[in-house]
Amino acid sequence: MGGFAESLAATSLSKTIQGVDWIIPLLQSIHIITIGVVFVSSLMIALRVMGRMRADEPFAVVWNRFAPWMWSGLVVMLVTGVLLVVGEPVREFTAISFWMKMALLAVAVVATVSLGRVFASAARVETVVFRPGAKVFAGGILVLWLAIIFLGRAIAYDVEVWGSLSSTPSPTHESSP
Amino acid sequence: MTLVSIVQSIQDSGVAEWMRTSVKAMPIVEAIHVLAAATVFGTIFIVDLRLLGFPDTRRSFKRISDEMLQLTWVAFGVALLTGALMFAANANTYFVNTAFRFKMLALLLAGLNMAIFQLVTFRTVGAWDSNSRPPSAARLAGVLSILVWATVIFFARWIGFTKGFQFEAPTDVNFQF
Repeated sequence: MGGFAESLAATSLSKTIQGVDWIIPLLQSIHIITIGVVFVSSLMIALRVMGRMRADEPFAVVWNRFAPWMWSGLVVMLVTGVLLVVGEPVREFTAISFWMKMALLAVAVVATVSLGRVFASAARVETVVFRPGAKVFAGGILVLWLAIIFLGRAIAYDVEVWGSLSSTPSPTHESSP
Repeated sequence: MTLVSIVQSIQDSGVAEWMRTSVKAMPIVEAIHVLAAATVFGTIFIVDLRLLGFPDTRRSFKRISDEMLQLTWVAFGVALLTGALMFAANANTYFVNTAFRFKMLALLLAGLNMAIFQLVTFRTVGAWDSNSRPPSAARLAGVLSILVWATVIFFARWIGFTKGFQFEAPTDVNFQF
């Protein structure tokens, strides 16, 4: 993986991202703005399952309002995230937080797709009060997003957060916060 | 007491010292700040989209605004608290940092936009609350809000890339060792 990271860092795209001052902050800003859209969309869906938000609307209406923004936001995050990895592959690939983030992201996406499949069709017609298990499931997805956001920021602090477990050579936030 | 001495006393405070010396304080506080800022943006974005008249206008503006803004204020409070902790850690540096000052200016503009909307446009909300297309003053407030909050996030992220080495090198200094 170290060899792959180094060869990725040597590509012209990576060198452009590294070389132009404003590219990484701009990509990170778009990434954070999109976190807002994705996280709050997911929050609205979860709060609807819990009966704490828009309880007067059928679940399918709330799902159809927020899910497209969530999926589109995830695509934007994927694009900006991939460009950030191409720009700083060694920093990302050596960080424990990066790999944990990717693993939890996969779980969160699968869980959210499942939630939509199960409930958006079953609850299409009328307003539904969900079972406690469904509320816990929706709450679990929110916890996953919180962990993903935390790990995203923790990539810059791999040694500080993971101590001796980290294989990052030195604190990386000095060069790229 | 001058502003500079106030900033200096913030930097000399115990909590600032704790932020600088604790290994895990900065990554945790930063991660919470990102989460809170993203939630502020995401919840305001929903209100702004309703002002612009899409994607779903079956719910009245006032209802969406009431639902969202309570989350916004909680998230804003958390962002303010975590932001103050981060500022305290390096108060002297942030105080003279151009990106930080632009961020504060953008925050001020966001507040001004919100105040003008609240004091002028919102007074006639009864007339357009359920309209799928609110009046042009309301739509303008929505567009400005999205742009200004995105600008706040951009400058906030930019700070991390300027901190510590943003200065003009003096050219007329004679070093005498």
